[in-house]
Amino acid sequence: MANYDFDAIVIGSGISGGWAAKELCEKGLKVLMLDRGRMVEHKKDYITEFKGPWQLPYRGTLPPAEVARDYFLAKWGGAANTDRNHFYNNDRLNPFDYEGSTPFRWVRPNQVGGKSLIWGRVSLRWSQIDFDANRKDGYGVPWPISYDELAPWYSYVEKFAGIAGGREGLAQLPDGEFQPPHAMNVAEIWVKERLEKAMPDRKLIHTRCANMTEDKPEQGRFRCQRRNQCARGCSFGAYFSTQSSTLPAARKTGNLTLLSDKVVTSLDYDPKTRRVTGVRTVDANTGEAKIFTSRIVFLCASAMASVQILLNSRLPGSDRSFANSSGTLGCYIMDHAMRTFFWGTVPEGQLDQYVEYGRRPAGVYIPKFRNLNGQDADADFVRGYGMQGGASRAVAAPDGFGASMKEGLRKYGPWTIQFNVFAECLPYKNNTLSLHPTKSDRFGMPLIVFDVAFRHNEERMMVDAARQGEIMMRAAGLVDVGSRQDEHVPGDAIHEMGGACMGDDPKASVVNRWSQAHDADNLFVTDGSQMSSTNCVNPSLTFMALTARAADHAVKLAREHVI
Amino acid sequence: MTMPDRRDLLAGAALFFGSSLAPPLAKALSQADNPAGFTASHAVFNDGQRALVTAICDRIVPTTDTPGAVAAGVPAFIEMMLADWYSPGDRVDFLAGVAALDGFAMRGYGKAFAALAAQQQDSVLTTAMHGMMQGLASGFFDHCRQMVLLGYYSSEIGCRQERVYLPVPGRYDGAYLYSQVGRVFSS
Repeated sequence: MANYDFDAIVIGSGISGGWAAKELCEKGLKVLMLDRGRMVEHKKDYITEFKGPWQLPYRGTLPPAEVARDYFLAKWGGAANTDRNHFYNNDRLNPFDYEGSTPFRWVRPNQVGGKSLIWGRVSLRWSQIDFDANRKDGYGVPWPISYDELAPWYSYVEKFAGIAGGREGLAQLPDGEFQPPHAMNVAEIWVKERLEKAMPDRKLIHTRCANMTEDKPEQGRFRCQRRNQCARGCSFGAYFSTQSSTLPAARKTGNLTLLSDKVVTSLDYDPKTRRVTGVRTVDANTGEAKIFTSRIVFLCASAMASVQILLNSRLPGSDRSFANSSGTLGCYIMDHAMRTFFWGTVPEGQLDQYVEYGRRPAGVYIPKFRNLNGQDADADFVRGYGMQGGASRAVAAPDGFGASMKEGLRKYGPWTIQFNVFAECLPYKNNTLSLHPTKSDRFGMPLIVFDVAFRHNEERMMVDAARQGEIMMRAAGLVDVGSRQDEHVPGDAIHEMGGACMGDDPKASVVNRWSQAHDADNLFVTDGSQMSSTNCVNPSLTFMALTARAADHAVKLAREHVI
Repeated sequence: MTMPDRRDLLAGAALFFGSSLAPPLAKALSQADNPAGFTASHAVFNDGQRALVTAICDRIVPTTDTPGAVAAGVPAFIEMMLADWYSPGDRVDFLAGVAALDGFAMRGYGKAFAALAAQQQDSVLTTAMHGMMQGLASGFFDHCRQMVLLGYYSSEIGCRQERVYLPVPGRYDGAYLYSQVGRVFSS
């Protein structure tokens, strides 16, 4: 057996990488975790936490000129806010091929922990309906795994991460291992009661989220304090992040080495043994190039970046990636379609006496209701969408100026409820990510070229969602009902997936049912790039479950000396 | 009404949740006395413009039973935003807008806006608000008021005296009686 620097290398330290490191370390492997971003330590480096609005630069919003120069894509994920700007990629310093790509809003993080520090935290399971979808309607690569295979791993990661939610018994949205949900407010309960009575096939439920409602003292984490400032980092550890959860667990084993500021550019590969033999890195600060070796490699660099690294890992004397014998590497790039909104107002005289005390980190959810039992007769699209929302009261609008206006601004406007739709994006083989033949970034990495677009099915779904949304708002007795469809650009949802899809057929997919590369037995790709379809639910919980499952399998194979 | 002090709120949260929360709460307390932190990179106003903007701020959010925009430092906030946040074009537009207000005051009352009686200032602002002021860009009043409101309600006075600031609410109640607070909770 060769001598390795480490038993395993985990590339990336976000939601997937953190889980890989934790699981592999806890199973006794010596693990190196690499991240291209800067170090952020839990608590200590949450530099805007506990600051009042008056203590934030520019009272909260970055100057537009700076946004236009450095964060013109990251702004779509919140980077224009000065309470969290330091957690985002600089789009000028780290570009893709903007000129040669179709519009794509690639929102990236800038630190150890990746997007786990700034994620939306909505944590929903897939169902068997979703694992069957590709096989049934013929789009994309058929999923090789079933819900039942993944269910125990969902349970495993939920128990550790701490998911708040309510048990509903819905086939399309299986229940999990939940802490008590974050309570609905009085207006959400009002809408729920009326909606579910008027339209019994629709449900309005608590959003299931990785913000705890009970303490986890064994992890040094405490329940949510209802600040709703999660994206600044949370010293209570109330929401799941690498920093709060998986990184401390991995460190506790004594088996983890974590290096920040290491940009992975490619993987070395030996075609004779079909193994990845080295991980090539460039130091982001010094430019020093270094190769690390390990027996096992977990690629968790984020969906698009993992595909970029794989595409840049070419066979000697070839333009082709070692991981691309199927010819599908970089194909089937997906992101949820979003930016369709609908809303309604609770009629005057109802609930006027109530306001919210505290700030919840999550609201309510309307699970998928379209095409659940085969194709709906009135649906001109396949698959479906879910709706995330919440009710609140905005401050009354200013009227005039002076003392009377000031007094008027001590009051609230009416209760309104608003929803944002997340729709499944079909896997289209020719929605692609490729590498530019000549342009590269400051680390010598070829630039990504995106050729990705939403198509008729996504567009029809969004039209339907807006119409259904208005129908539901009216059925619930709300007034001033409306909807809006903004331009939705791939990447907007920050749920980008695909490019190294999972399937049984090595000729049609990049990884197998264990997230293991068909072309390299010791390489596991466990982030969003392995997804063969998107379903319509927020994907991170599924990445966690697939990663923990793959780590378990990889260690079994290693113990059996298969890899 | 008496505004609860943030220290009391945090201490209350510590009691409620137990000493296990002490380290993060201690961090919250250590932030409590940080002064409002901004310094404009360069001056934008001359003395006359500064007095003019101060007078506008004072009439838009006056001191009542709580301090107003001037006490909350809004004129300096606006100057900082003009210096470091606005685009050059927007900065010119804003300065042109306040100059138009001042010109209207001079023509109508023979005095600069800042030197007028409060009632006269309100009359000038009302004319602007209704879009009846010749030479004033449409939308300027709303823009100006928005800047004052942003500066005021994001100031420490705006958050902690005019509104109710809950740095660590500790709990959520989605059916809380407005009558128990009688104000707006700040963000």
